[in-house]
Amino acid sequence: MATYSTTGVSIPSSQPVGWRMSRLQRFLLRDSTLGYLFLFPALFVILGLVAYPFVNAIIMTFQAKTAGAPGRFIGLANYAELLGNPVFWRVIFNTLIYTAFGVGLKFFFGLGMALVLNQERRWNNMFRSFLLIPWAIPTVISALNWRWIYDDASGLINNVLVRLELVDETISWLSDPHLAMLAVIVVVVWQGTPFFTMSFLAGLQAIPKELYEAAEIDGASVMQQFFYITIPRLQPIFITAIMLSAILTSASVQFVYILTNGGPADRTQIFPTMAYNLALGGAQRLGMGATVSLFFFPILVIFIIFLTRRMLREKGE
Amino acid sequence: MTLSMTAQRRTVKGIGNFLLLLMLLWTAIPFYWMVATSLKRDKEIYGFEATLVPQEPTLGNYTTVFRDTPYLLFLRNSIIVAVGSTVLSMIIACLGAYAIARLNFPGRALLARGLVFTYLVPTSLLFIPMFAMMSALRLTDSLHGLTIAYLGFDVPFCTWLLMGYFKSVPVELEEAALVDGCNRVTALIRIVLPLALPALVVVTFFSFTHAWNEFLYAHVFTSTNSARTITTGLANFMSADVFFWGPLMASTVMSALPPVIMFLVLQRWVVQGLTLGGVKG
Repeated sequence: MATYSTTGVSIPSSQPVGWRMSRLQRFLLRDSTLGYLFLFPALFVILGLVAYPFVNAIIMTFQAKTAGAPGRFIGLANYAELLGNPVFWRVIFNTLIYTAFGVGLKFFFGLGMALVLNQERRWNNMFRSFLLIPWAIPTVISALNWRWIYDDASGLINNVLVRLELVDETISWLSDPHLAMLAVIVVVVWQGTPFFTMSFLAGLQAIPKELYEAAEIDGASVMQQFFYITIPRLQPIFITAIMLSAILTSASVQFVYILTNGGPADRTQIFPTMAYNLALGGAQRLGMGATVSLFFFPILVIFIIFLTRRMLREKGE
Repeated sequence: MTLSMTAQRRTVKGIGNFLLLLMLLWTAIPFYWMVATSLKRDKEIYGFEATLVPQEPTLGNYTTVFRDTPYLLFLRNSIIVAVGSTVLSMIIACLGAYAIARLNFPGRALLARGLVFTYLVPTSLLFIPMFAMMSALRLTDSLHGLTIAYLGFDVPFCTWLLMGYFKSVPVELEEAALVDGCNRVTALIRIVLPLALPALVVVTFFSFTHAWNEFLYAHVFTSTNSARTITTGLANFMSADVFFWGPLMASTVMSALPPVIMFLVLQRWVVQGLTLGGVKG
């Protein structure tokens, strides 16, 4: 520890030789003072950029407010209008379908991918790196790329289908009311599967090899090992990953915004894009937009509180 | 169980290899299409002569991007915002995480809880009041504004991740330093930070790529090219009337490269960090 002796101290405000410290310095270096001092910037950020806007959002839901103008109190009129709007019910349904299928498929494929990558083979590290790349690139770029793949006239899919003479007319993936949601979910899954893969792979690697060896000696088949060792061992990770993904998938704007912008006829409209369109798409009804967002908060908050507890417990807080 | 163990193993291995091939194709095809399109002339992109493999590959789309679009401006903006928010959130997060991990003071547990909670609140619940607030503060259409806005996500997340790492640095090292005359500040700088270097790398990666990839705030808070970052800039290319997929794909290829390279280089630490915190779905 010699290298860390007093001679090397470079912080000018603290000459830390115990008996010469002034009272002010001693006060400043007390755990509690220092704790608050260190946390002050973080606290400021949280209060200013999360807590304050959040409270503001709640207030806005009771206002008729446009950008730049002060809001006018209108009680529950926003809520009443929303509940009377058939599009909103459509949006609730869409958001549920989008989230359930998006998260479900990501989970399923992510588990498959993790299991495959957990096998031993040559160049496995290279394969793993490659399969995780969709997670690292900006989601907007995935969405733009897929929009071009789906393109009516010259996109990759239609290009191939026509070439193989499988279709007479090209398919409008993103503007067909029956296909649009499916097409959007495919992109969500393509981009989000690696997140599950990474989580599950780490979990798989933490399972002691001895468990499988012992099971084998007892005559357990590969399937039995999977259902009685792998699945139970991964379960805590399953829950965390699903909840985290459910929060972020249901709240993500960019896939729907770029691929379909909610169309055709609101078939792919989900709550964040509806909020965006109400608040910033033309009419600038900030109050209505905030109401849409906040409507989903009670569901999200259950997930968030549950997940907060889990994450703190995992870290021994 | 009629199959012997070795037969079972061989079957599983075979299925695994087959699935791996499908997954590689599934992942690779969109990337292939992106790169292939970026290398084609318009003649090969649209219409009857459209090709699957570029017959006469050209870098023309790339020159178009640099010559005829504000791409370089978007790139500059993205770099400024990403570097700025990364540096700021690192400083704030290091101090905060150290306080929670090591110092004893009333309210510590509550603050830790608050951090996780705020990290999990998605931006799509906040962007409308944030937009109103940024407008009121005249911080819309400004790189400063965007940099500050990103701290709302980066600080809770980085603090949370670093907290775990700081806790794993043995307390004894720090106690020894305190006996040797360090105070808490110098102990943080000289003992904890050097030992948590891998964590700092991971946190840098996450906050940098977050700022690089973020779309909603960037899109909502900017209205002119002067402050547009790559994500919102490219989305805006698309909403222009004429689709020019060649240059657009060229710019997506270039924009995807920095985070991909960072990810490939830092992969080992990133995956480890992810399992500690959980990042994004």
